[in-house]
Amino acid sequence: MALNPYESTRGKMRARAEATRRQFLMIMGGLAAAGASLFGGIEVLRFMFPVASDNAPALFKTAFTFAELTGGVVGGKPVIPVNVLSETDKRVTVVLDDAGIYAVYLVCTHLGCTPNYVTDVTTGSGVSASVAEARGVRTSNQRLPNGWACPCHGSRYFIDSTNFYGPAPRPMDWVNIEVTPDGFFAVDRATLVATRGPGNNTAPEWRLLVDSKKSNGKTLGV
Amino acid sequence: MSATPGQANPVRAFVAQLWGSVFRHGLPTNDKVAARTALTNFFLHIHPVRVKKSAVRVSYTLCLGGLSFFLFILLTITGLFLMFYYIPSVDSAYQNVKDLQFVAVFGDIIRNMHRWAAHGMVITVWLHMARVFYQGAYKPPREFNWVIGTFLLLITLLLSFSGYLLPWDQLAIWAITVGTNMAKYAPIVGPYTRYLLLGGDQVAQGALIRFYVLHVIALPLIGFLLMVVHFWRVRKDGFTGGL
Repeated sequence: MALNPYESTRGKMRARAEATRRQFLMIMGGLAAAGASLFGGIEVLRFMFPVASDNAPALFKTAFTFAELTGGVVGGKPVIPVNVLSETDKRVTVVLDDAGIYAVYLVCTHLGCTPNYVTDVTTGSGVSASVAEARGVRTSNQRLPNGWACPCHGSRYFIDSTNFYGPAPRPMDWVNIEVTPDGFFAVDRATLVATRGPGNNTAPEWRLLVDSKKSNGKTLGV
Repeated sequence: MSATPGQANPVRAFVAQLWGSVFRHGLPTNDKVAARTALTNFFLHIHPVRVKKSAVRVSYTLCLGGLSFFLFILLTITGLFLMFYYIPSVDSAYQNVKDLQFVAVFGDIIRNMHRWAAHGMVITVWLHMARVFYQGAYKPPREFNWVIGTFLLLITLLLSFSGYLLPWDQLAIWAITVGTNMAKYAPIVGPYTRYLLLGGDQVAQGALIRFYVLHVIALPLIGFLLMVVHFWRVRKDGFTGGL
């Protein structure tokens, strides 16, 4: 009967054994392929995350001096102190008020654009200029309803970086600032001295004191 | 090919053989030859051999899918020309675009063709989807093709966004800032996604080259593959009525 050897009893047993062996090899091969794909996939994903980048360092020295901000003598000529000096490209503004100096990191808390400094931040916002003037203590020689307005989606911030209008969810952060030995400012954007969550309108009290050139250490939320 | 004296002109015979090796039929003179021509030509085989007259009526549906594909072809060709002048470097990208406009002959027209075709493609893809939806053309057996279509819409929008960034002007920089910060809002994976897209923490060179690669290679390739499947399914499932 058994012209085909696989139809004999022995043949069937042999066929079954071979099938099992093929199945085993198939499973092993499949597992190996799956493992290799998984490992390869993870490595491809890791490839896309560089471990170092050429991004600008967080610490930088300002182009303007301590004397330009606070008044003093530069190049033999007395300078008129100003309240606000900015490094727009590096996204930091340094503000002088009666209590001292602080630096705001100009990254809109909505979606990260750079808000512009404006002398009247209340225009069209429904907030009165006197409220804006009252936020933060200004120097006696210059009282303005100034602050920042974001060009992307219209968020507004008082001069103490508290948001009051537009989609921004929380105030902008304050970063650490020091006076360098040669009279400039060293701004460290990686070190926050005041950070506030949504709805926190407390004006931060951290200042770099003009007389001692040291910080008062009154950090907020860090 | 052996040409013996007295037979046909050997040059003519050679040309005939060459022609015959590329085009296996003469001009289609009847339905049978027309059908065979369509089946044996790579560029024609994707089309149905026979199409009902009512199926190619474009009076009010405007063949919007076809228009989208036409614009995609146009974008591919004009984009290729733009690539001759554009270098994805933060130092030169903007200047390259200006060079393209003012130094290259017809460069301004090529750039504007690319720009307007891109806007047009977003519009036609949306309208195509709306037409398919309102006509109920997404229903079985075409539900899989509808899903492919939604992915093609996504690819179109991503191509539009990534292309917007390449001139590296103020619009581009703030669009990428806003776009990647939106990605950051996603739970858990958000910050990683932003890092992945920017190739770092800041909008800088790493971000430009990533979006450039996405724009000129990755997204068009994925889009092309999906389109092949999309058209194949359209051909297999037939038309609902109009195009």
